[in-house]
Amino acid sequence: MSDAQRLDAAPAEELLAYRARARAWLAQHAPAFSGAARAGLSADEDLALGRAWQRLKSEHGYACITLPRAYGGGGGSELEKIVFGEEELKYDLPTVYFGVSLGMPVPMMLRYATPEVAEKLLPPAICGDDIWCQLFSEPAAGSDLAALRMRATPATRGGVEGWLLNGQKVWTSWAQYASWGIIVARSDPAAPKHAGLTFFYLDMRSPGVEVRQIRKLAGETEINEVFFNDVFVPDSQRMGPVGAGFRVAIETLMIERYSVSDESLSGPAIEKFVCFAQDARINGKPALEDGEVRALVADTLVERQGLRSIHRRALEAIGAGREPGPEGAIRKLLLGRRRQQVGATALDLLGPAGAALTEGLTTVQDFAWSWIDSPGPRIAGGTDEILRNTIAEKVLGLPQDHRPDKGVPFNQPR
Amino acid sequence: MLVMLADQAERLLEDHATWEHLKSLLEAPGSFDRELWAQCAELGWPAAAVAEAQGGLGLGFEALALLNEKLGARTVSLPLTPAAVIADAVARGIGDHPSVTALATGERIGCLAFGELGESGLPRTPTLRFADGMLQGERALVPFAAIADVALCHAAAEDGIGLYLVMLDQPGVTRKATATIDNARAAATLSFDGAHAMRIDGGDGWSACLRAAALASIATAFEQVGGTQSCLALGVEYAKERIVFGQPIGRFQAVKHKLSDIYTELEIARGCAIDALAAAGRESTALPAMAAMARLGGIHAYEFASRETIQIYGGIGVTWEAAPQHHYRRSRALALELGAAPFWRELLVDNIFTLAEAQG
Ligand SMILES: Cc1cc2nc3c(=O)[nH]c(=O)nc-3n(C[C@H](O)[C@H](O)[C@H](O)COP(=O)(O)OP(=O)(O)OC[C@H]3O[C@@H](n4cnc5c(N)ncnc54)[C@H](O)[C@@H]3O)c2cc1C
Repeated sequence: MSDAQRLDAAPAEELLAYRARARAWLAQHAPAFSGAARAGLSADEDLALGRAWQRLKSEHGYACITLPRAYGGGGGSELEKIVFGEEELKYDLPTVYFGVSLGMPVPMMLRYATPEVAEKLLPPAICGDDIWCQLFSEPAAGSDLAALRMRATPATRGGVEGWLLNGQKVWTSWAQYASWGIIVARSDPAAPKHAGLTFFYLDMRSPGVEVRQIRKLAGETEINEVFFNDVFVPDSQRMGPVGAGFRVAIETLMIERYSVSDESLSGPAIEKFVCFAQDARINGKPALEDGEVRALVADTLVERQGLRSIHRRALEAIGAGREPGPEGAIRKLLLGRRRQQVGATALDLLGPAGAALTEGLTTVQDFAWSWIDSPGPRIAGGTDEILRNTIAEKVLGLPQDHRPDKGVPFNQPR
Repeated sequence: MLVMLADQAERLLEDHATWEHLKSLLEAPGSFDRELWAQCAELGWPAAAVAEAQGGLGLGFEALALLNEKLGARTVSLPLTPAAVIADAVARGIGDHPSVTALATGERIGCLAFGELGESGLPRTPTLRFADGMLQGERALVPFAAIADVALCHAAAEDGIGLYLVMLDQPGVTRKATATIDNARAAATLSFDGAHAMRIDGGDGWSACLRAAALASIATAFEQVGGTQSCLALGVEYAKERIVFGQPIGRFQAVKHKLSDIYTELEIARGCAIDALAAAGRESTALPAMAAMARLGGIHAYEFASRETIQIYGGIGVTWEAAPQHHYRRSRALALELGAAPFWRELLVDNIFTLAEAQG
């Protein structure tokens, strides 16, 4: 049993005490970094506030709770991380910039980097000074990550052995702020598509890296295109063997065994919808008396309760040192669609006035912003359709879809 | 004549309504394309459905439906529907009014102001009041109100609900252009504080108001059908082109079925819109119910199509540059203007027996 697991198995009272401490700490510190404190801030100011919040957490052991104290982490258990995450979500804090960075690249570095490198790169990431991005998707490779074309060719620079990266990544969240990134590239085009990939980390300030922001249809500007023109990466920055990039990429996507997301996927809570329905009228009658409205509320509550139970049982499993069940995989699929549907219906209740899109409000606060920015969550991190396939194939054991290009050399004309 | 109008519309919109241009209209609240309005006025579009006696072309709502389908297909916003609906209301209620000719020529722009805060549909007991020849009260976001000259609205008077025409360039009117989901709708809130208005219904204000809203809903349903059709075309095209896992995504049943479902909803919406249009021409007692079906069909089809077209596009779908965002915005805007779906659902079910009678 590892240390972490032993801590996970801590008795429930200890966890309750931890929650109480976290709550008190948040009550003391979070207001200065959330809600009104963020109103009217520019993107840069909000990021700066987010960095200050991350640093404060790091100083108090609440940043990267499962990572070692020596790097600025919390040295705590996975359950503590989840509990703190739940409590932190109750505030509207500027943590979004660190979601990818601390969720996947940083834990992967902890696993793959030498102690010297980890000592140098992890502390600035954990305290929020450095942001890491994840350069996986490309124009022709999203759901089908193994179709990526970014080339990695062996090269030597100043006597250092390494690789030259050429190509383009896209949809890279927060690349505009990133100092470092993890990346998968094709090192052997003659190998089958899954076999010819290699994984690296790289300095985003390297010559030849160009980041261009992508304007979203609405909401926060988080996504970017990243162009690579003869970008040199030392071989010492390779993560895993040459040709094992796909496996390392999948490992990255799975590294967060359990991540906390709020119950309405960054939309307003269903309680807020009910308040709307109390005030609104349909044909002169209170909307909360409307059957369709009631059905939506009931359906949402049923779904939420099911997900709450799944969450609670996952925590129990982790606490007992077991793997959580596969049912956690339905969460994003359900919540993404739910957020879009509840958003549209909330606007319906407002009627013609519902079209207003007020500058400065967030998706958590406002149904119009929640609705207009809801297509993203149904696509990012696995589309609805891919999630359904995953459930069918990985959980239910159904055969995989036909894959005509599997096992065929990548550069063979098809 | 209708064929000529359709061809003209196709050509003008193809030249004018580039995505780039349409995007520029989304940028700021209250945006309106005056240049296009001038051109289409010259071609007689605002006059198309206005009776000849009122200075229009007398081509009926069929012509408006046809034009609206073209507008909807490209998410172009032109206030053709208000002109036709106001002309109809005036013709039925009081015969004629000088502003109608100006609406037909396009010199003046109309808007339909039925929505109020706190009601999802059309308020049956409006807080907007009419007394001593003047209006007092507010209207929630009204499409085209940011640039319109005249509004049609219902208000509570001493003797019940009346339908009113009110000029917007007078001291008693304040409008506030507001940022919305779809800025190209040129939406604004309207406040009336002693604004002079003219009653135009022939006595039954609520029926006149419902008729206006029903006609507007039918005309709008054609915009929604046009928009749905475009989403479907975008989705089908992308599903054939986009290669994922070594095959066009259209080969995946998840994508195929989504597109078939859009097609199914489109054809239901189109069917309801066509039959509602015919009912409007026949003076059918089932008009409100038929209009409600056209409205519900249009709302559902367009929302589903625009939402799922983004989904089919994947990451590109959520960008500002891609086409589906225009439809996503427009579908929601059209779903809220003229009152949201629950109101029309109630109206439909409440009228189920009239409907049965009228259809034999
Ligand atoms: C807001 C946002 C942030 C993101 N951040 C990052 C990031 O930080 N780093 C990163 O690397 N990527 C990121 N992504 C990219 C994201 O992972 C991809 O967009 C996603 O995997 C889908 O890929 P795609 O866009 O190429 O769509 P495609 O894979 O081209 O999919 C197009 C459509 O086909 C469907 N489809 C594909 N395969 C199948 C199948 N087998 N069966 C049925 N349907 C199928 C999809 O569901 C979708 O509807 C982000 C995306 C968004 C929207």
